[in-house]
Amino acid sequence: MKKKKILKIAAILIIAGVVIGGSIGIYMFNIPHRNVQTAKVDYTLTGSQIVAEYLTGKDAANKKYLSGDGNSKILIITGVISKISDDFNGQKVILLKESDAKAGVSAAFTKETSHNADDLQIGSTVSIKGVIRSGASFDSDLELYENVILEKCDVVKK
Amino acid sequence: MKKLSFLTAIILAVAAITVNAQTSGKLVSSKTQIKFFSSTPAEDIQATNTTSVSTINKETGEVVFSVPMQGFEFEKALMQKHFNGEDFLNTQTFPKAKLKGKITNLDKIDFSKDGTYNATFEGELTIKELTKPVKENGTVEVKGSVVEVQSKFNVALADYGITFVKGKPSTNIAKTVEITMIAEYKPE
Repeated sequence: MKKKKILKIAAILIIAGVVIGGSIGIYMFNIPHRNVQTAKVDYTLTGSQIVAEYLTGKDAANKKYLSGDGNSKILIITGVISKISDDFNGQKVILLKESDAKAGVSAAFTKETSHNADDLQIGSTVSIKGVIRSGASFDSDLELYENVILEKCDVVKK
Repeated sequence: MKKLSFLTAIILAVAAITVNAQTSGKLVSSKTQIKFFSSTPAEDIQATNTTSVSTINKETGEVVFSVPMQGFEFEKALMQKHFNGEDFLNTQTFPKAKLKGKITNLDKIDFSKDGTYNATFEGELTIKELTKPVKENGTVEVKGSVVEVQSKFNVALADYGITFVKGKPSTNIAKTVEITMIAEYKPE
């Protein structure tokens, strides 16, 4: 009788363990992407500030802004719009760059947020929130300055 | 004295024209798309990256792609995390990959005439500071001043020190992945 009871408890514990473990496994496998727009802002700065930070010390800036798991820092960048274009995913791309600057900040919107960029105009100043993907630097093979790249962007409403 | 400044002006003008001629063949693209596709019996994994910058030189045939590795977007967040992590591409330490080389049949491509031309490319791909030779075939499409380049090639992950011996990635990620690239260039 006692042995039976122990077996019963053991069986329940094992089943519970499998169900909980399995659920966690399935949840982890399907865990959704971080929502950049609702996530906490890590740094708020101007386009010129972050470009200057990268051009003076690329490695230190990468350490500060990029994360090892790809969920890098979320920034709000303010700057002057110098170019508006579309990418191959049909998303709006806004380039924030001062006319005399070596590099700027390229901000790609998403399919859901792109319409918020419809009213933006070249020459006006805007604040954009997004996740940083890479920094600015001079590339000797391209013979060009590369821009800071943000993705998952949206306009910050004032 | 007057003669000297005249001479200087001519030299400067010639130098300016020469510099101009050297850079005029270069087209720049920030409208790019790179797709990564891995297929195994367990699952297919795909990622898309639209953050690269590329240049192509019409006169020399030189092509350069600079690829921010954190720009690869996966369907599942967990896959993206693995991809960026230390065991895979370690993107915090190695944020960019680079493809650099030359079109080898430049004589068959007429950048002044609209049309689609087959192109062969030979160069080097650098990922995680490991450089390996690559050979690709692709097309170059000329539409007025706009040039669109497309190419597809395979990359063996082990060439770049990406090897999985245990765990899920070893069965679910193919040893060789297919890379598809497209870029739209405009004059600088």
